[in-house]
Amino acid sequence: MDLSVLFSAQLLASVLVLASLYALVAIGLNLVYGTMRLLNVAHGELVMLGGYAAYWAFAQWGISPLLAALAGMVIAAGIGGLIYVAVVRRLFRSPNLLARIESNSLLVFFGISIIVQNITALAFTANSRGYSYLDDVIEIGGARIAANRLATLAVAGATCLACALFFRYARSGMAMRAIIQHRDAAALVGIDVDRVNVQVFALGFALAALAGALISMSQQISPFMGFPFTVSGFVIIILGGLGNLTGSIIGSLILAAVEVYGVTLMSPSFRSILVYGVFIAALLLRPQGLLGRSIRAR
Amino acid sequence: MRRRHIALLAAPVVAVGLCAMLPLMLDPYGLGIALNLLTWIALAESWAMFSGLSGYISLGHAVFYGAGAYVTVLLWQVVPLWLAIPLSGLAAGLLALALGWPCLRVRGPYFVILTLGVSEFVKYIVISSEAALGRNGRLLIGTPSLAVLFESMLAVAIISMIVLYVVRSSRLGAGLLAIREDEVAAEAVGVNAAALKLVTFTLSALIPGVVGGLMILRSTYFEPLQAFNPTTSFTIVTIAILGGSDEVAGPFLGAVLLVLISELLWVRAPEVYMIILGVLLIGFVLFVPEGLLGRAQRLLTPAKS
Repeated sequence: MDLSVLFSAQLLASVLVLASLYALVAIGLNLVYGTMRLLNVAHGELVMLGGYAAYWAFAQWGISPLLAALAGMVIAAGIGGLIYVAVVRRLFRSPNLLARIESNSLLVFFGISIIVQNITALAFTANSRGYSYLDDVIEIGGARIAANRLATLAVAGATCLACALFFRYARSGMAMRAIIQHRDAAALVGIDVDRVNVQVFALGFALAALAGALISMSQQISPFMGFPFTVSGFVIIILGGLGNLTGSIIGSLILAAVEVYGVTLMSPSFRSILVYGVFIAALLLRPQGLLGRSIRAR
Repeated sequence: MRRRHIALLAAPVVAVGLCAMLPLMLDPYGLGIALNLLTWIALAESWAMFSGLSGYISLGHAVFYGAGAYVTVLLWQVVPLWLAIPLSGLAAGLLALALGWPCLRVRGPYFVILTLGVSEFVKYIVISSEAALGRNGRLLIGTPSLAVLFESMLAVAIISMIVLYVVRSSRLGAGLLAIREDEVAAEAVGVNAAALKLVTFTLSALIPGVVGGLMILRSTYFEPLQAFNPTTSFTIVTIAILGGSDEVAGPFLGAVLLVLISELLWVRAPEVYMIILGVLLIGFVLFVPEGLLGRAQRLLTPAKS
């Protein structure tokens, strides 16, 4: 095989598109873990719901998926707030549950995950679905890329940038970072932790739903498509460091590059082996993340 | 006094004897359900031996189940079954030894995610190698009858319960409980945590290996996605939560409840079954975190002021 293909703009574009989607998923997952120590294994289900919202709006009423994404985000934010109020607050209230919050949250979110998957399967059948939207191919600087993937990159990239600005300058963004750094100290300086937690859930879920709506423009969706995104999300936040938001974006780029180049060099069937391989290596070699924020052993 | 001892010993013997006669009493459908129940009891008791006692929640039991199934399928008509099934358990144990060596160094949520990751990793390796061999699933023809499988599974489930009981009341179990409370403190008082964890992790993988081997003889069809399905691990954890204890009765009660519910619902709609599983899981974690056994014990002991 001609190795020069590895330096082509084509592959680079693929890496960027995938990385921008992964970043949307990973930022939300990492926010929820960083602020509350919750292992949200249902995160991928929000991606799936976002995909279905966009599909439904397009198939039923011909609404552009980019517009439907906004509605999907609002709905997802609502679901996030609801889950926080109905379930997570209860976890926090009992000292016994709080003592092992990670394991307990994992079980609860796994429960939520299978409930959401199977309700979707009942409502929409378990079949894969897709639609075509903006699928003409555009050529930019030697890379041929479908317009919908270009739109994905633009929207997801802009959203990541907006998130970065939000965490740096907005008051509630700074409050989230403060809680990630030290929850008790954040509460002491007057941050309403409970309110910020609701915002974290709403924001994280909305980002995941946006990712799902964007993905549905270029890929088939199904009720069980979420789990691989949950896994990729965890790989990324472990690569970048749990609770480290900049790390999540770097982690997204690394995983997307490994995936795109790995699949090009080997074969698509190696995708999962590569992702899990990176995952295991990252956990064993640097569980504190590549950027090296030390963690407390529990 | 002596009489009561005899009664205590006799009760389990009678119960086991009655269970062993079930193939004579039940139709194939009922026997299938009973086999299912024994399978989950065996798996959950073996899981509790490591994860219940040490507090290291493993989502890796599916990989040992799948490995056992795979080895049995590979040895099918190569060696006799009475040898192939124990070898499957042994292979799962060796796999646990190899995986536990690196995995047991991380703790808490990292361990939970890592076991799931490793389990999926092995699944995809098996899928790739089966694809490379050009095998699209493997069919087993001439497997033993349901009654034979039932009696074997009964033996495995009983062994699994006895092993949990023995480990729990031994020094090994005391060491694991100390690790669960506080690993650093346990090491400080002389518990060799690394060795204890590795030994028990390996021991607890033998049973799912054997169970996987037996169950692949029941389904007669091997397909990696099915054999290594992570739902197996999650179901085991759900059973443990429902039972809510690391005592032998905990996983037993949890398995009975789960199989009871699944039999009431599974046949009609698998999606509804999964939804109920999810609701049960959330409900028990939030409202009955002490589990069925814990709740029962609390109700039976008179309240102290």
